[in-house]
Amino acid sequence: MLMLALGLALGGAFGALLQLSGTSSHTKIVNALRLKDLTIMKLILMVIGVGLMGVHLLDLFGLANMKVKELYLLGIVIAGVIFGVGFALTGYCPGTALAACAEGKPDAWVTVTGGLCGALVFAFLFPEVEEHLLAVGRYGPVTIPGLVGIHGIWLAAPLGIVCVWLATRLPMSGGAR
Amino acid sequence: MKIDTLHRHEAGHEDKNPVLSWWAGGIGIGLVLIVAVGLVQPIGVSTQYVVLDGVLLHNVLPDVASRSSYLVKTAQGWTLATYEFFFVLGIPLGALVAAMATARFTTRIVPIEWRRRFGSNPGSRLVWSFVGGFLLLFGARFGGGCTSGHMISGISQLAISSFIFSAALFISGIITARVLYRDGGSRC
Repeated sequence: MLMLALGLALGGAFGALLQLSGTSSHTKIVNALRLKDLTIMKLILMVIGVGLMGVHLLDLFGLANMKVKELYLLGIVIAGVIFGVGFALTGYCPGTALAACAEGKPDAWVTVTGGLCGALVFAFLFPEVEEHLLAVGRYGPVTIPGLVGIHGIWLAAPLGIVCVWLATRLPMSGGAR
Repeated sequence: MKIDTLHRHEAGHEDKNPVLSWWAGGIGIGLVLIVAVGLVQPIGVSTQYVVLDGVLLHNVLPDVASRSSYLVKTAQGWTLATYEFFFVLGIPLGALVAAMATARFTTRIVPIEWRRRFGSNPGSRLVWSFVGGFLLLFGARFGGGCTSGHMISGISQLAISSFIFSAALFISGIITARVLYRDGGSRC
């Protein structure tokens, strides 16, 4: 019960922040991908910068509950490409579409419906996909520090600082027309 | 000229969008991730689309749902009463409160940039939204995560799969957006 309330609270904060910072706007996302408005890129860099430092600081004290995703080279690339096309078409991602639904945007409702169908089709295709595509270049849940053999903080701290620095340096509007 | 004023008016509406600056939003979302990792686990959204599918299907056609090992594994026990599902349920609720507090509801079907390029036909926007949504979740499940799970949580953990997924996503998204909206927007 406590866990459900915690989930709702954290998700609620996440959803409110997504909405307030404009990530649930088709215009903002599409113009970010067209490199015309880099606000969203700055925001993402900031999230990753703060996340890198915070998560690895927790990990330094043994307080982080990590959950690293598996690497399967070919499958990950194909999946990212498919996701990118959907991202540019809709102007939403699976999370921001839900926030946009709550704002009353009908195209977001349709995006979520399409998403439920896509997820269902994948669930039934999975045995095929796993056998043929996920097996190519499968390395398990690897991280860069794990590969190098050092504690993550030594990479996360400088990289996090670089991300925050880049976020502040990147112009609001891109040069592309 | 009249059309231009109309666009300008609606552009004004969507431009009102960010109430929080990029850095405040970024720090806020980063903190949500840190608290989530400290208390439970990294954040993720797209798995719960499968869970909802599984639970709905299991209610209507339990035999069919049980036939998919992926559904059985993902929607453990066919229940929505989990931390993970409630986290995702929180997203629209939080966004609803935020939109209410700042009076930013909109029932527009066709977004501005879409209309500039493809016209104001709501039918085509909705059809392509469905197709796009399908691709989003198909890709996310294929890759094992979405913008939240891979880009925010994964890169913060320095996971190699997440760096590759995010790079592929951005390259593909940027190319698609270039091709899709190439004639739109001459406001620069």
